[in-house]
Order: sequence, then structure tokens, then C-alpha cells
Amino acid sequence: MNAASNLQQVIMSGQPAVTAELGPPMSADGTEIIHKAHLLKGFCDAANITDCQTAVVRISSIAGAVLALREGLEPVMQMTCRDRNRIAIQADLLGAHALGLRNCLCIAGDHQKFSAAGRLKGHPGAKNVYDVDTCQLVGILKKMRDEGTQQGGDKLEVAPKFFIGASWTPGGEPLDFRVVNLQKKVAAGADFIQTQGIFDVEIFKAQMKEITKLGLHERTAILGGVIVPRSAMMLKYMDSSVAGVSVPPALIERMIKAREAAGDDKKKAKEFQEEEGIRIAVELIHQVLEIPGIKGVHIQAIEWESAMAKIVQMAGLYPRPVFT
Amino acid sequence: MIVGTQKPLDEIWDMVKDFKDTLVLGCNTCVAVCHAGGDKEAETISSLLKIRAQMENRDLTVSHSAIMRQCEPEYFEPVMQELRQHDLVLSTACGVGVNYLSARIGNIPVYPAVNTSFYGGVQEAGLFVELCAGCGNCIINLTGGICPIARCAKTLMNGPCGGTNKGKCEISDEVDCAWFLIVERMKQLGTLEKLSEIQPPRNWSTARDGGPRKISIEHLRQYEKQEQEKSELPGGNA
Amino acid sequence: MNLEEIKNVIQRYRPYGADIKETRPYSPCREACPANTDVQAYVGLIAQGRYNEAFDVITSVNPVASVCSLICHHPCEQECRRGAIDDPVAVRQLKRFAIEASRDYRRSLRKPVDKTRNKSIGIVGSGPSGLAAGSDLASLGYNVTIYERHPVLGGMLAMAIPPYRLPRESINEDIDDILAKGIDYVTNCEIGKDIKLAELTKKHDAVLIAIGLAKSRSLGIPGLEGPGVLLAIPFLEDIARGKKPAISDNVLVIGGGNVAIDVARSARRLGAANVSMVCLESALEMPAWKWEVDEALEEGIAIHHRWGPKAVRRDGDKVLGLELKKVTSVFDQQGRFSPAYDEETTSFIAANTIIITIGQMSDYGLLVDSPVKLDERGRLQWNPATQMSNVPGVFLAGEVVTGPGSAIAAVESGHRAAVAMHLYLQGENAEAIMPAEKKTKLGEIPEEVAARIACEKRVSIRHLAADVRCHTFEHFELGYTEGEALIEAGRCRGCSGGALVDTKKCMACLTCQRICPYEAPLVQAYSEIRPDLCQACGLCAPECPAQAITMVSYDIRQLRTEMPTRLANIPRERTEPAIASFMCTHHVGVAGFNLPANFHILPVHCISRVDILDLLSALAYGADGVAVVGCGAAICKYKDIENRVQARLKRAQDLSRGLGIESGRIALLNAMADAEDPYLQVCSGFAQTLLQLGLRTARSTSAHQ
Repeated sequence: MNAASNLQQVIMSGQPAVTAELGPPMSADGTEIIHKAHLLKGFCDAANITDCQTAVVRISSIAGAVLALREGLEPVMQMTCRDRNRIAIQADLLGAHALGLRNCLCIAGDHQKFSAAGRLKGHPGAKNVYDVDTCQLVGILKKMRDEGTQQGGDKLEVAPKFFIGASWTPGGEPLDFRVVNLQKKVAAGADFIQTQGIFDVEIFKAQMKEITKLGLHERTAILGGVIVPRSAMMLKYMDSSVAGVSVPPALIERMIKAREAAGDDKKKAKEFQEEEGIRIAVELIHQVLEIPGIKGVHIQAIEWESAMAKIVQMAGLYPRPVFT
Repeated sequence: MIVGTQKPLDEIWDMVKDFKDTLVLGCNTCVAVCHAGGDKEAETISSLLKIRAQMENRDLTVSHSAIMRQCEPEYFEPVMQELRQHDLVLSTACGVGVNYLSARIGNIPVYPAVNTSFYGGVQEAGLFVELCAGCGNCIINLTGGICPIARCAKTLMNGPCGGTNKGKCEISDEVDCAWFLIVERMKQLGTLEKLSEIQPPRNWSTARDGGPRKISIEHLRQYEKQEQEKSELPGGNA
Repeated sequence: MNLEEIKNVIQRYRPYGADIKETRPYSPCREACPANTDVQAYVGLIAQGRYNEAFDVITSVNPVASVCSLICHHPCEQECRRGAIDDPVAVRQLKRFAIEASRDYRRSLRKPVDKTRNKSIGIVGSGPSGLAAGSDLASLGYNVTIYERHPVLGGMLAMAIPPYRLPRESINEDIDDILAKGIDYVTNCEIGKDIKLAELTKKHDAVLIAIGLAKSRSLGIPGLEGPGVLLAIPFLEDIARGKKPAISDNVLVIGGGNVAIDVARSARRLGAANVSMVCLESALEMPAWKWEVDEALEEGIAIHHRWGPKAVRRDGDKVLGLELKKVTSVFDQQGRFSPAYDEETTSFIAANTIIITIGQMSDYGLLVDSPVKLDERGRLQWNPATQMSNVPGVFLAGEVVTGPGSAIAAVESGHRAAVAMHLYLQGENAEAIMPAEKKTKLGEIPEEVAARIACEKRVSIRHLAADVRCHTFEHFELGYTEGEALIEAGRCRGCSGGALVDTKKCMACLTCQRICPYEAPLVQAYSEIRPDLCQACGLCAPECPAQAITMVSYDIRQLRTEMPTRLANIPRERTEPAIASFMCTHHVGVAGFNLPANFHILPVHCISRVDILDLLSALAYGADGVAVVGCGAAICKYKDIENRVQARLKRAQDLSRGLGIESGRIALLNAMADAEDPYLQVCSGFAQTLLQLGLRTARSTSAHQ
């Protein structure tokens, strides 16, 4: 039996945990994963290797996770319900465990129609599966781990010991039901929760108040999601179009000011905005970590893994604890 | 009812253009209600094919007819001989009708003119919406009468995913989020707490995943059998 | 021959939908007509410019159509459901227009009927009932002879209705139609005097007595004897014969009926400066039609109401006037005519000529030495079911048995007598077969439907100015122009001509219920489109996915069968685009029936009736373009249809585009009724568009299978 996950140990130690995100490429070459793994290594406790996010074909999460693991970065493999039925899911979980993976995040997955929000062709004509949903998937992982049994009831010779994660969109509609949503995932067996990116801290705070009332924060480790903004445009897009995300106007305003400070210089504008984005991310990290019941942050520097080091350092979360 | 939509004319044309004599056969039940394949649409298709034949200078005979339902044998009885006079029957029935007729007509092909889409209701005149997926194991008592199998793009059973946006589904802002509706409906019914219960993985074997399905109503079948036996006795109406 | 077959022989023409209509409630106009003239059918045909067919519909039940078109009291109009919205449709005037517009056509129809029965029939009297019976019996193949005591045919129509209301030529048009079937007639022949009735019954296999009410009733008051007091009928007959009855300058007419009005107005035309009338009834009670009273008043005739005649005051041969007593009531509590007087309250009207017009009775002189008997009340004995007198083979028809009524009621009585006589001569039991004809009719237009109908005043009927017409016996009423007639005909709501569901095809899909602007369809096991509510717009039929809905009148399928003929003459070599033009006949038609030849006109009751299939067919028959020409929302007879039609066109455009035919070849054009030029502009604009798209090649437009 391999050692338990690093992420689990950080959380159990009571120190704020930091997870990051690593998007695999649309390529049969794993070099990029290796490169990104090096950018993240040491600046997070584990990094999510996304599972064909935005419903676009990329190196699979399991393969990507193994590549990262080989580089010394602890991966959180992701498992969407979109692409596999319960047979494939469980088979992959067994294989992933055999390959040394210890963290698994269960998610529904973007619908195949999403196709990178229309920026790529994707496979909108694909048949989706959704044999089980997230909550059920969490339950399957727990049953495999704790009972050594497959969903269908057959025994496993060796049970996969995953640290089970699930996602949560605290600001999604219907707002009041999102608490129930989390409650169900926790009841199903989620050990940790990574939330959708938080910009409106007040909404999140209010949701967390409900969560703590129910004592859910004691039963699972909630890592608040922080998306690192890169431009005013991105913030505006997230506010208007990304489900469950609302961005306070003041933040958008700050980014616009940063852009305007550069005048007509496009390169500078990018620079200024990125700097401001990192500052915003750091502030958000601090605000999130102050919320009672929060056990860490999930920092998503989407396609900008290089920013992680600076953010984590500025946030005072560096160095990351090491367990031997 | 079953809701379908007409195939594009080009696709139909490719199916029929090499047949000398095509009959467009409408079905006056579900597909008529959804204005895809009733008598009227059968005639419309027939009319379009005639014009197309004219324009392409092809000597085709196209006619049209319709029966009440293409999924029950009795409705075919008066017309089956007539149908066999043609080279091709282009059925505007749902897929059921096409399969059904195809198996009975003999040596004539039966082609589909309609894409069968879903089981739906008429939300308003001219607007048909999918409300049931025929999964064979109804649970909408648990979901406020709103089917998450048919109406959630991900057939989620335990609540919404993160894709709900302003009450709409992530696949389109024209599609309602079923779970948003379910939650609102359960609130209205005062039964929201029911949703806290975790629904375990479903048994999909009652759905199409379990293979082609059949329903046998034994008491009716017994009667049919008796009648058949009677008619086979000497003096029966064999 | 059953009754239906008889009817089919007699009714030379059956309009589209006639058989269906028999199974449904009649429109109130038709039900009100004693002859059940299909008013809705012919008014609709007029709207479509199909005047000859309108004539056919009218004359299929009415052989004296010209007469009725001028003098009918038009109960159809009184019952017109449009009356509850604005004014009733001017049915009589439309009838007049259709008949005058189809004069050459009607003359071309005149031809003898083969006399196949070898049986002869004598008809006494040539009024409307005698003529109607004679016409029917001739159509059935009998040898018919009409006997008329006057020198001309027509009975009271010719002898008592003054020519300013009914010109002689109009009666003759009708009579010529009837005589053309090969009917013999004898004029100046009074039965009972010139020929005994017994001789007639011997000579003919059956005899019809249709002598009407040709004798004036008189009064029993002092002072009648002597010059200066006249009776109405002789007075009117003199005028009919072209004689000028001697009257003074001050004329008083006693009576309040329509004949009294005729007499008074005739007296004005004979030159009497002061003509007045005195009647028992108040203005509301008097039996004369209101419009005739109004016309009389316009001509300066004074009416004294609620006075009864007491005595004629005279000085020897000179009449001085009429002494009157006050009427206290005209009708008793049961509503029966039973005048009561206050003998103490009296009055006097000075006049030098008094004409008594208090009603007519039959002249039973013909019964001398005949076995035909009167009953104890002095009326002819008869069986109303068979119209036969107490003598087998002697039948009765018209006012002689029905009492005073209208020309059209007499016509209907004549029709019934003809059928009864035919059945009698065929040895059938007429009593068992003759139906009790009383049709059900539609109810009033429900309020919620009426609220959706735009007001549209009737096109007024013009008369000669009162000061001109009261000096002449010339016809005083002017006919509609074609434009006026088309507009007026467009006001008809098409009651009873609306949607009909084939319940064998209907699968209760609710499409009609959802689409109907008037909420007429009620869908349960199948759709029932309630005729009381249906406004016959036709929007539903083309949308019915089972093609289960037809329109009772002017169904588009009728036009569909005509389409090949109407589009047959598209020249292969052409420079102008051939345009199939579906035109609303209600307003657009008024301006558009005279379009350039490359517009092939397909008149429709309303553009909402045009089906996608029709648009496609027009292209299939080789049209370069298809125009659907409607009226524009402001003047549309129906509400809220334009968007629907537009959507339908859009689908036809999409479908035709799928065929590689440019969508611009199908267009919805709107035009205003009163603007002929802009209308033509709209059409030529479309023609220009088509020229730009190019004319479709001969190959692509070869004959449609």
C-alpha cells in the first residue's frame, strides 16, 4: 500500500492547503505537462489534472496525472461522468490507483456541446454517458475504498484508497439549494471540496455560514476556488457568461484602470493587467482563507501556470509543508 | 406523443429519385399533431418532389395518401394492396411506423421522411418540448413532476451541476435547467427536503440500455389467441 | 324520382357546398327567405366577381329573381347577423347587381325543355306562385299552360306594383326565362267566365289555382257611393295599363300597408300635389315597410296615424274629405287585429279623392259551376300538406290560400305546389313525401366574436331625388356600380359558409382551436367548429395536419381543381413574368380584377385560405412568381390574419428555396381598396422583382403531373 496523499496530509495537519490546476494539451506529446509540472512543483500541495475540460479532447487526466507524478508533483486526477459509464469509471480508478494516483476529484463534466465555449470545434455530436452523476460517483469511490466493493456488489481484491474530492459551485442557482448540493456530496463521501472561482466573497461567506451551521466544514475540507484574472475582458466574460460566477464591479473597475494606465501601449496594458490580476488573486486568497470553515485554496491560473509561484509567495503560502 | 420533424428535401430526394413511382404515406396520429407527417405534410412532400422531378427533368410519379396510424396492423388492411402497387413508400410516420410497415409490405422498400425526435408536449401552438425519455422507470414523484432524465442534459439525479446559469442550462440559454425547475417546484410543493436524499446509481436496464423492449398485456393477448383458435376451427371465419 | 331528385331537376344549379349546407343550420338570411335562397353563396360569388354563378344560385330557387331583386321585402336583410354589428348586408341590391350584370348570360340560357311526361297542366294565374309552379313543372317535362285574365303575364306584379318600383322590363326578363322552357299561355282569359273551371280540369291532367288576392276590400262607411272614392286595385291596374286614373289634386289614401304606400306614391306621380294617408296604426304599428314609408315621406306624403274612417263627407258628386274617429287600440291583448275607437274624438281631413287601400281578397268568380269548395269561413278548402283542394287534381298555391304575403313566399308556395302536382301525377302519396320545410338557423353572432369584427357601413343605395322622382313613374332606385357591389358583397360574414371538420380524419390535435381568431373550434374527441362562431375566414383549413377541414363555401380545393385551367395559358415564350395571383376578393378584388394579362388571377375568399400547397402548385404549373394579394390590416375583413399568412408564406419560401427556387418568387402584397393606382404599383413592383430574378425556363415548368 502506497503512502496516503500529500494533499490529505496537509489538510490533516491543519495548515491551509493549496491546490493548483494543470491543463493537459491537445497533443500526444507529454512534454508540456512535464514543463507545467515543474512550474507548479513546490508551490502547491497537489495539482488538478483536468479531464478534457470544456469538453475538448486532451491528454487524459489519468495519463497526465501519472506524468506529473513522475515529475514529483502530486496530481489530483479528475473523473467526469460525461465520458464513461460505471464500468469504465471503476476500471480507470483501479488502474489509476495501480499507477500511484491518490487523489480523485469527481465532477459532472462540461456538456459535450460546450466545446471550449465555441472557440474550438470539439465534439458536440458525441454521445454522452452520465450513467452516474457526481454524487453517485463519489459514493462509488467511497464504496470501493471503504467496503472494497464495486458498485455492482462484486468484491475487489485490493481496494483503491483515494482521497475523494468533489466540486462545488457556491454561487450557482438555485442559491439556497447549493448548500444541500454540498451536503449530499459530503454525505456521499467527499473528503475535500474544491469550489468554483470566487470573486464575490460576500456571497461565498454567506454560503459558508450555512455550511458551518450544518457542520459540513468538519466533515470535509473546503478549498475556496480562486481564479487568477488576467484582463478586464476576462473578468467581464466570467461575470456575464460563466455559470455560478459573479464578479463585483469594483474588481472589473480595477482591471480597467490598470489597462487604461498603459495608454495605447498594448504590451504594457497586458503587463499592467496581469500584475493587477495577481494582486487581486492574492487579496482573494487572503479573504477566502479568513472565512471560517475554509481549509485551503484552489488556485486556478488557467493556461498561466507560470504565475503560480509569484501568487503563492505573495500570499505568504510559501514554502509548502513537506511530509516524509 | 411522439414528436418528429421533416427531413431536409435534399435528403429525401436522394432517397426517392431513382424510384419510378413513390407513394408518400402520411400517418395521422402523433406526427400529424406535430405537423411533421400527417396527411397535409405527406401532400406537401409529394408536391415538392413533383416539382423537383420536373426541374430535374425526371419522369417520376409521386402521389400521397395517409392512414390513421402506421403502428397498428388494422389501419393498413384497407390500403396494403394499394401500397404494394408503388415502387417505394416514403413514410412520414415516426420510426415506429417505418419499421412496422417495412416488415409487412413485402418486396417494396419503405423509407423515412421524418426524423423522429422525442416524446413531447405542445408547450404552445407550434412549440414542442421533450418531457419524457421513456426510461422505463419513472421517478418524477421524487423530482416535483419534472423529469431529470429527459430534461437535464446530463441526466443528473442528485441536483444541478455547476452549469446552471440564470435558470438555464449550460448547453443553451434557451433550455431551462431542469434542476432549477425541480428545486423551484419542490419549494412550491413544500417538499424540498426530499431532495436531500441521495439517489443511488440508477438501474438503466429498463431503458433502451437494457435492449429492445416489449410489453405484453397478457389478458388481451389470451383473448386474441382464443379468437384466433376459434376462427381456425371448422366453421370459423378463417 | 325521390324528392331530392325532383329538387335537382328543378334547381338547375347547385352551388359548391350545397349538399353539405343541407346538413347544417342555415345562415339566418337563408332561413328567413321563404324560398331559402342561398344568400351567403351568391353574395360571396359576387364578391369574387363571379356574377353568372351568383345568378345561377339565385335563380335555382327563384324564377322571378329580377322582380325580387327590386321589390323583395328582403327578410334576409332583416335577419342578417351583420345587423348586430353595423348594418345588414344590402342583399337585395346585390341581387339586383348580379342579375343585371349577368343579363347576357341569362338570356343565353333560355331554351326549351323536352316535354317528356305527356301530361298537361293548367295554371290559373300568372303571379309569382303560378309562374314558379309553371317553371318547375316545365322543367320536370310537363306540358304547361298558364291562363291569365289580364292582357299581360305577371299577375299583381304586373298589374298592381307601380312601375316606379318595378319596371315592366324586369318582370319580362323573368317571364321570358320561364316561357323559354316551352310554356303555353293564354292572356285575356278569365276562368269562370271565358272558360269554365270544369272544362279546364277536363282538358288538363292537373290544374293549379294561383289567382292571388286581386280584389280590393272596401269599407262600410257612409258616403262611399259616388265619384271621387276609388279602390286601390282598379286604380293600380289603370296605371299598369297606361291609363291615367282621374284623381283630384287632394288625395287621401286610407290604409297603412305597402299597397297603400304604392297608391299614395302613384297618386303623387299622377300629379296630385297634396297626397296624404290615414291609417289606424301608429308609425310603429303600421304594416308598411319602414323604408317604403320613409321614401313616401320624402316624396311629401303626409301620414295621419291612429285615425279610423267614419264617413266620407261629400257634397253631391264632390268628395270633401274624410271624417275620422280616434283609434284607441289596434290589436287586442292576444295581438290580433281588433281596432277600438273613441267615437267621441273625431277629426276631418279634407280631400277630393279618396282611395281605399285596406287590403285585398280573392275573386272566387272562377269557382262558378265547379266542385271546388270553400270552407265555412269562405276560404278555399285545401290540404296544406299536399296543396290540393277538395277536388283531386286541382291544386292551390300562393296568396289565395296563404293570405297576403310576399312575392317570394308566393314563389315558394308555387314550388311546393309543383312538387305536389308532380307526385300526384306520378301516383305517389304526396302527403307522405312532402317534407315540413323548416330549417334550423345559426344563432346570433356571440358578443365576443362581434367585438372582433370591424365596423364597415353598408354601401348606401342611391335613389332619384325625391322632387324628381315624384313626377315620374321611372324606376326611382339606382343600382350599385360594380365597385359598390364588390365592396358591399365583401361585408358578408359568410355565415354557414365556414369551416367543416371531417370527423373521420380529425385527430383532435387542437391546431384549429389554437389558430382560430374567433374561438370557433371546440376540440374534444374531435374538433367541432361551431358555425355560430365561425366567421369563414378559412385560416384553420390550410393548417390542419390531417387535411380534415374544408370550407363549406369557396373551399380552396375548388380553386385548386381550376388552377390548371387558370394557369394554362402561360406562354412558353414570354417577356413578362407569369404571375399566379391569389387575390382576396373582398377589397383587393375590387381594384384588381382588371390586372394586366400576365397576372393570372386566382380569387380567394380571403388570403388566409391560401395553402402552402397552392403556392407550390402555382410554381409547379409554371408561374414565374406567386403573389398573395391581401387587403392590409386596416381594411381586412378579418382580424389578425396577416402575420399568420406571412408565416405560411415564409414556410413556402423556405420549401421552394430547398428546391432551388428563389424565395423572392413568392410574395405577400398588400393593397388598399380605394387606391387603384398604388395597387397596380404594388403588383408591377413585384413583376419587376421577378424580371430581375429571371423568367423560369420552359424545362423547369413543364406540365405538372
